[in-house]
Amino acid sequence: MLSGRAAYIADLPFQDVLYVAILRSPYAHAKITGIDVTAAAGHAGVVKVWTGADVLPKCAGLMARMDLPGFVPTIQPILAHDIVRFVGEAVAVVVANSQAVAEDALELIDVDYDELPVVASIESAMAAEALANEAVPANLVYQGHRCQDDVDGDFASAAYVASGRFINNRVSASPLEPRGCVARYEWTNGQLTVWSATQMPSFLKTMLAIHLAFPEQRIEVITPQVGGGFGQKAHVHPEEALVCLLAIELGRPVRWIEDRRENLLSATHAKHQINDMAIAVDGNGRFLAMRNRSSTDGGAYNCLPWTHLVESHVGASTLTGPYRIAHFNDESLSLVTNKCPIGAYRGVGWSAGHIAREILIDRAARRLGLSPFEIRRRNLVDQNDYPFTTPTGLVIREGTFVQTLDRLEQMVSYPSFRERQASALASGKLLGLGLCIFNEVSGVGTRALSFLHIPVTTHDTATVRVEPTGKITVTTPLVAAGQGHLTTFAQVAADAFGVPLDDVTILAGTTRNTHGFGTVASRGAVFGAGTIGRAAEAVKVKIRRLAAHLLQTGVDQVTLSEGRVHLIGHPDKGMPLADLAGAAYFADATHPPDFDPALEATAAFDPADVVLANGGHAAIVEIDIETCMVRVEEMFAVEDCGRMINPMIVEGQIRGGVAQAIGMTLLEELVHDGEGQLVTTTLMDYLLPTSIDVPDIKIAHLETPSDLVPGGVKGMGESAMISAPAAILGAVNDALALVDASLEDFPASPQRIFDALERAAAKNAIPV
Amino acid sequence: MDEDIGQSVVQLTINGESAAFTVPIRTSLSDALRDKVGLTGLKQGCEIGVCGSCTILVDDKPVRSCLMLAVQASGCRIETIEGLAGNGKLHPLQASFQRHHGLQCGFCTSGMVLTALALLRETPEPTREQAREAISGNLCRCTGYETIIDAIVDPDVMSDPEFANG
Repeated sequence: MLSGRAAYIADLPFQDVLYVAILRSPYAHAKITGIDVTAAAGHAGVVKVWTGADVLPKCAGLMARMDLPGFVPTIQPILAHDIVRFVGEAVAVVVANSQAVAEDALELIDVDYDELPVVASIESAMAAEALANEAVPANLVYQGHRCQDDVDGDFASAAYVASGRFINNRVSASPLEPRGCVARYEWTNGQLTVWSATQMPSFLKTMLAIHLAFPEQRIEVITPQVGGGFGQKAHVHPEEALVCLLAIELGRPVRWIEDRRENLLSATHAKHQINDMAIAVDGNGRFLAMRNRSSTDGGAYNCLPWTHLVESHVGASTLTGPYRIAHFNDESLSLVTNKCPIGAYRGVGWSAGHIAREILIDRAARRLGLSPFEIRRRNLVDQNDYPFTTPTGLVIREGTFVQTLDRLEQMVSYPSFRERQASALASGKLLGLGLCIFNEVSGVGTRALSFLHIPVTTHDTATVRVEPTGKITVTTPLVAAGQGHLTTFAQVAADAFGVPLDDVTILAGTTRNTHGFGTVASRGAVFGAGTIGRAAEAVKVKIRRLAAHLLQTGVDQVTLSEGRVHLIGHPDKGMPLADLAGAAYFADATHPPDFDPALEATAAFDPADVVLANGGHAAIVEIDIETCMVRVEEMFAVEDCGRMINPMIVEGQIRGGVAQAIGMTLLEELVHDGEGQLVTTTLMDYLLPTSIDVPDIKIAHLETPSDLVPGGVKGMGESAMISAPAAILGAVNDALALVDASLEDFPASPQRIFDALERAAAKNAIPV
Repeated sequence: MDEDIGQSVVQLTINGESAAFTVPIRTSLSDALRDKVGLTGLKQGCEIGVCGSCTILVDDKPVRSCLMLAVQASGCRIETIEGLAGNGKLHPLQASFQRHHGLQCGFCTSGMVLTALALLRETPEPTREQAREAISGNLCRCTGYETIIDAIVDPDVMSDPEFANG
């Protein structure tokens, strides 16, 4: 990567390749009354033009569903036919000899639209005067509850009720590399090869087989170097199916590399929720009950595979977090609107609810005269409570919540911060402190998805082979998009066999390897460690058996370390691993009776329960009263992800996640007008955080190893986007509280800060 | 098609060697370097000059190659990421990025490294704030920037005799 030699999807050379440009709808909801592609098809250099009518017989579209009662599935067409349902939806495709020619020809396509009523907000979706997608009655994909406790008594007896309506607007994961895919069909052997910048190659392969009715054994998905995913590349996108269909049709490689505008228009959006939340608190600051109604602006279709449920529905599962909240009553709604489908982005549906919860906790603390640390300390689950079952049924058996809180309190030097805040206020500056304590459902496998009420089974495997010279080859279905997984995995294998890191090679990036669900949802480290650890164990059983036979000792007396197989406690009594491997491969006479000499094993892994990581974040922000800009002055993170395979990689995940949290809370917003038109279609309007916006981050680690995963590993890739947004917006509200202002509509843009200050000024000007 | 729009020959120096290619006049320098010369180390993240992934050095200055036409580079001296590492060895600045984990997905890295190289040639001992300022036009979505700054200000980069060879 450093040398510029790593090949990303757009860097791959193909003989005879054709280029794709996609015409996208300028309307949020309209009937297509006619398409004339004659001029485009006749343009020099154009090889093929397709509209929805051409694709429909080959593929009905991407069907996304969840097996939950009442869930309404949707089908997203590969190219819209008859009706377009969001701005940016693909309408036609041009294939040409160069990218420039393909894009020129797009402008020659003539489409007639009859506009239909647009459902552009959660409110209008709920009103259901118009339908965003006629397949979804009342615009409601799903309505669910996690808990329906009776909380009226708690709220009636509460000393204080903190409540608010928190609006989390749309953002985009915006990996720096946009999406892209190349497909090649070889008619002589019927082989379809697909190169895609995807986080889920095996899943993509299976979905292509099903949706295109193509034999799966003749599909190979290759994942080149991926320039960031963050969840956006953990979907099957209609364009991937489209490119495959074109390659099959044309018999030449077909390449689609989207530009940034396409990415912002049509790659899954994220985080769009409204949370109406209330917390009942007694006079001692103890939480009695929580109520929440969460609504997701889900866009026109369900994404594949996560559906709309990736936001509010998943968010509800951990809304009470690591706090003792006895009673919980919630409802989550997933609504279709005429916008791009909502999808997975780091922290998924958890970010928005955490923001609401932690801001309300701070509000209660201020009202009751408690420090933000003290009110949390009085409510955090601690080790005396284990196993603690949350209202949603999450069993907390371990975690360092109170230690995290204590550590954060030291890191921010709380008493001196309040002094600094007071003296800053005297000189006209608004400083604020916010924090969030979280647990992360990490390493998401079948049990975790089941807990999240996402009925999906995951299947992950790895193959480990000891080569004849004692070197280790591992094949994994997990792919990396910058998380450093290959290094992490090599370390797992090296540790298992007691060999240097350099003796291990990890083969990844093609579905010719073993099968796996994908590198999403903080799974990489957990499933890498789990599958590789278990496969290595199976091979080691054979190594020990052969060694014990040669050393004339018991199998349980043999161990592997320092590149040798030897008697426990006697590194000199044994042999190099290379010699033992050589014996297994080439010296039949050395084998014990009935010995299976294959020093290779494939193993699956799926954690037996939810793997819970935990931690917390604190933020100190300054609001400039003149410009209404928010600057993050300091960020603090405490992370407990069990045993750390590689601390540098863990910290890299924290820093990157915090930077995204700063973007999401202060800068980034996909703005739609009342007609559903996206008005932020470049990185000049959609503001990603720069080096000026992100401070250096102070990080502390706690280590509570998991007994569910070989090596004690837990996942942590999403943690900063679960919790840091809440800390930052808590800090914004702490600063605003100095002038009796508050903010519940995000991101905290200068305009919104200005409005909040104006509202407070107006309120204070009127004598009560 | 492209051929009808008008072609132009561009002569320039790339990574110390003279080169020439013919492109349609409307071709951006980033497209020309990637497609005509095969230098795919520069990345295209936005194509409107915001993200900085396509940054290269033109006559020693960091330039967004997506905002420059290839024909404008005639006679210029161009440096790309491919010119830095040589003989199986990373340039000291690249090695520092690796040591400090100053990259994750790697998509912004060539632009970051070249921007930092231009800074270090002018300001051999930058402060953290100078480094922060220098890369403020280069977006990174993975690292949070801190470790990139660590890599740039590491004094071992400039004290390495190989630095000047980059």
